[in-house]
Amino acid sequence: MPNCVESRLALLEAAQNPDGGWGYFAGKQSWLEPTAYALLALGDEPRARRAFDRGWRLVRSWQAAGGGWRGCALAGDPHWATSLVVTLHCTRGIWDEPFGSGVDWLVSSSGAETRPLSRLAHWLSPETVEFNPALGGWPWEPGTSSWVEPTAHALMALSRAARHVRQGGLENRIDVGKRMLLERRCRDGGWNYGNRRVLGADLPSYPETTALALMALDGHTLVEWGDTLTHVERVWQGSASPLARAWLAACLLQYRGVRPVSTGPCDTGDILVAAVEAISWNRVMAA
Amino acid sequence: MESRHGRLIGRRKFLQAGGIAAAAGAAACTRPRLLPGPPGTAAVAILRASSYQADLLDCLRRGAAACRLDVRGKRVLLKPNLVECERGGVIHTQVDVLAAAVELFESLGASEVTIGEGPGHRRDALYLAGEAGYRTGIRNFDARFTDLNRDDVARVAGFDGGIYLARTALAADLVVSVARMKTHHWAGATLAMKNLFGVVPGALYGWPKNHLHQLGIDRSVAELHHIFPRSFGIVDGIVGMEGNGPVQGRPRQCGVLVMGADLAAVDATCCRIMGIDPDRIEYLRLVSGRGHVLEQHIEQRGEAIAKVRTPFALIPKFQHVRLA
Repeated sequence: MPNCVESRLALLEAAQNPDGGWGYFAGKQSWLEPTAYALLALGDEPRARRAFDRGWRLVRSWQAAGGGWRGCALAGDPHWATSLVVTLHCTRGIWDEPFGSGVDWLVSSSGAETRPLSRLAHWLSPETVEFNPALGGWPWEPGTSSWVEPTAHALMALSRAARHVRQGGLENRIDVGKRMLLERRCRDGGWNYGNRRVLGADLPSYPETTALALMALDGHTLVEWGDTLTHVERVWQGSASPLARAWLAACLLQYRGVRPVSTGPCDTGDILVAAVEAISWNRVMAA
Repeated sequence: MESRHGRLIGRRKFLQAGGIAAAAGAAACTRPRLLPGPPGTAAVAILRASSYQADLLDCLRRGAAACRLDVRGKRVLLKPNLVECERGGVIHTQVDVLAAAVELFESLGASEVTIGEGPGHRRDALYLAGEAGYRTGIRNFDARFTDLNRDDVARVAGFDGGIYLARTALAADLVVSVARMKTHHWAGATLAMKNLFGVVPGALYGWPKNHLHQLGIDRSVAELHHIFPRSFGIVDGIVGMEGNGPVQGRPRQCGVLVMGADLAAVDATCCRIMGIDPDRIEYLRLVSGRGHVLEQHIEQRGEAIAKVRTPFALIPKFQHVRLA
């Protein structure tokens, strides 16, 4: 195991909260997102078995009535990181009822821009934000619009889940989500948070969301993968953001099977970065 | 033209018809005007600073004195605008202004001066802070900084049934909005009040914080203004942003810092400097009962508005907010 991955796993083990979850930073309150990432990273580590079990119990206790998972102990509403929990179930080979209801919740969730009034508003002023409102992705929060990052995570989760569950509309939902991502691609070839053109002006892409979108597109035939991955590697080399570098490395690991060797600072104290750097994304995506 | 929705009239005709109806409606009723605000007046200081090489700490000290700012023993949270960052650009609050603000509040006897921000578009707040020069240009920046997007949260009243906000912001004795003077393509202008969007946690509401857009940007600005009565505003107008702000506009040299404890009064003053009618900025109208927006209720200290007025370019949809 590379030293950098080892150090990330050690950080995760040390940063677990008494309730079994992880905060975004050590000592902060537990959230679903960093907890799910930490469990994805620690899941294959025999030495972390107890830590995993405690985290798993917390995650399972956070499922809400409608099938989605809460974002933290305080918040009752289902959270976009339900996608990560569905992916986590896939990697553990657990296809039980909570998993199924989580998949159902994800399939039924869509961005508010597909609603009739939103579509009318877009039809009246299509140049305000240019996108196709017929292609609904996933929102950060129920009742709001679709954005790239939650859509990418939902696609990754449902693509894995589709191999194990029969759910009416699942394949179609995945197809529409991928088309949404392709339609939101920026002119420079990458993705930002989800607006490629606003008020007639092109917006630039970001490295982290570009990596996530490419991971979710999972070898899609409409992406020119050779040039794109070369570009990803170049951006990875030039990026100063640890989070962006972590996602770009995850993308390269998924498609090339090799994680680029990081020469940057080892630990930033950011649980998200540590976990994304430690997760075996090539295995997660193939689970 | 037949649209993909099967409608038989064109969008242009539809819009024209809508425009006529809207004009008739507008003529039939009087637009709500600014409310007078609470009793008394609000002090707002306008300080000249021709460049970021000027003695900004001295400017801020004079402004603080003019506003009779007393922060002795208080825990102060400085909230810069770091919605995005372009190195050398004018999207974010200039490091020199934020660094001077740290020195100001420490020298005024604050018990603690921290910095917090929850960027609106990108998740790696510390990276953005580095790109903005904060990590090298501000003493002990990393130790002072909290990523408000990923902070602990607490639920507070407001926003139609409550909202979760960053605990660090709620726990501060004084939240200081250290914003840049910019136009905004959805709200008209983004100044001290709109800058408070950064205390809304992305961990729950996402990147961008679409929850606030769905509720309405103007209404959300007003709600946050209500939740943070213990606040102070410093607006960096040394070089602002005009045109298609808050991210894609052009730099606009204005040469001022604007300060005050009443954020509505600070923003209204900034608007007047920018050549924008505060009466036509919806969020200012919404808060006008709680803050001072009317010019006669704002005690202008330092420079006079007329002497520093610098009309900012506005995108076509906001030409109507131009100050006559």
